[in-house]
Amino acid sequence: MVGTHIDNAALFAVLSSLADNKQAIGRRYAYWCNGAPALEAAVAAAAMTQDEIGHARTLYPLLADFAQAESDPSQVEPMTRTLHYSLAYLDHDFQGWSDFVATNFLLDAALTTFFAAAQNSSYEPLCQRSRKIVQEERIHEMHADGWVRRLARAGGAVRSTLAASLFRLWDETLCWFGPEDDPNMQSLYREGIIDATPDELRRRYLQKIMPTLSSQEIDVPVFFHVDTKCWELRQSLPWNSWDSVARRKSVG
Amino acid sequence: MNSTTIGTHSRREALNETHVWQVYARRKYEEPLHEIGNVMADDVELAKVYARSIYDEFSWVEMVLIPRESIVTVIAS
Repeated sequence: MVGTHIDNAALFAVLSSLADNKQAIGRRYAYWCNGAPALEAAVAAAAMTQDEIGHARTLYPLLADFAQAESDPSQVEPMTRTLHYSLAYLDHDFQGWSDFVATNFLLDAALTTFFAAAQNSSYEPLCQRSRKIVQEERIHEMHADGWVRRLARAGGAVRSTLAASLFRLWDETLCWFGPEDDPNMQSLYREGIIDATPDELRRRYLQKIMPTLSSQEIDVPVFFHVDTKCWELRQSLPWNSWDSVARRKSVG
Repeated sequence: MNSTTIGTHSRREALNETHVWQVYARRKYEEPLHEIGNVMADDVELAKVYARSIYDEFSWVEMVLIPRESIVTVIAS
């Protein structure tokens, strides 16, 4: 079907990253379906695993419609794909329940911020999927907020373990949106595929997560700007260790 | 019992849920709400998440949670 394919390298790259991250999150969550601190939390983890894998399964088939997939069709199937554009944090098993909570609270919320920005996308398949994903993610956000509060209030080693999990994921998650001049994200913004630039996505993301972190006095390098009434980063992100192609922290 | 064991126990206790929520739901508007089970959670938002994920066998038109401690016994069994 040559000639019917969409030729958009930027969209192909970002969709690949979204699908890989959703798939990797689902796989990591799956380990905790029978290892959560309570039976209720385990059942919720199983439901969230299904949701995440489901999100990945709705995204991977889109890749086949792109000209960029023609050179290597095996890369559009999760079972045959050898490229992995998910965050380095997801390369290894979670060290504990706090890694599950941190992934849900930080990374999944970041991806949802992107999908929220694509709900009126000029690329119709992403528009439809984004609305559904944003709707389903509301329950994940309730789970994330509830568990961050719960682990933080437990104090002692529980609280410090949560803080360590959040710290390990913090920079890489914020980098995922890309630097403000990220060519792929800027291309998506210009084409009306998303309605925000990387800095605006990061700003929206911080407004979403910071009320919970601030209420629990969890220290992250962010401050509240009284003039703009927005949460802003206190320091620049580590772009020198950022792989802009794989949209993940450089390994090695 | 060494300090590690004590630490593990206290951490586990810190995460133990103590509040029980009775879950009521109905499948049709013409039906009354009826009890379908319960969940344990100290946080009401987490209780909602747990109820939705555990009791997802039907497409409910309504589901509510009632804290067990608010139930008043009229005739004790």
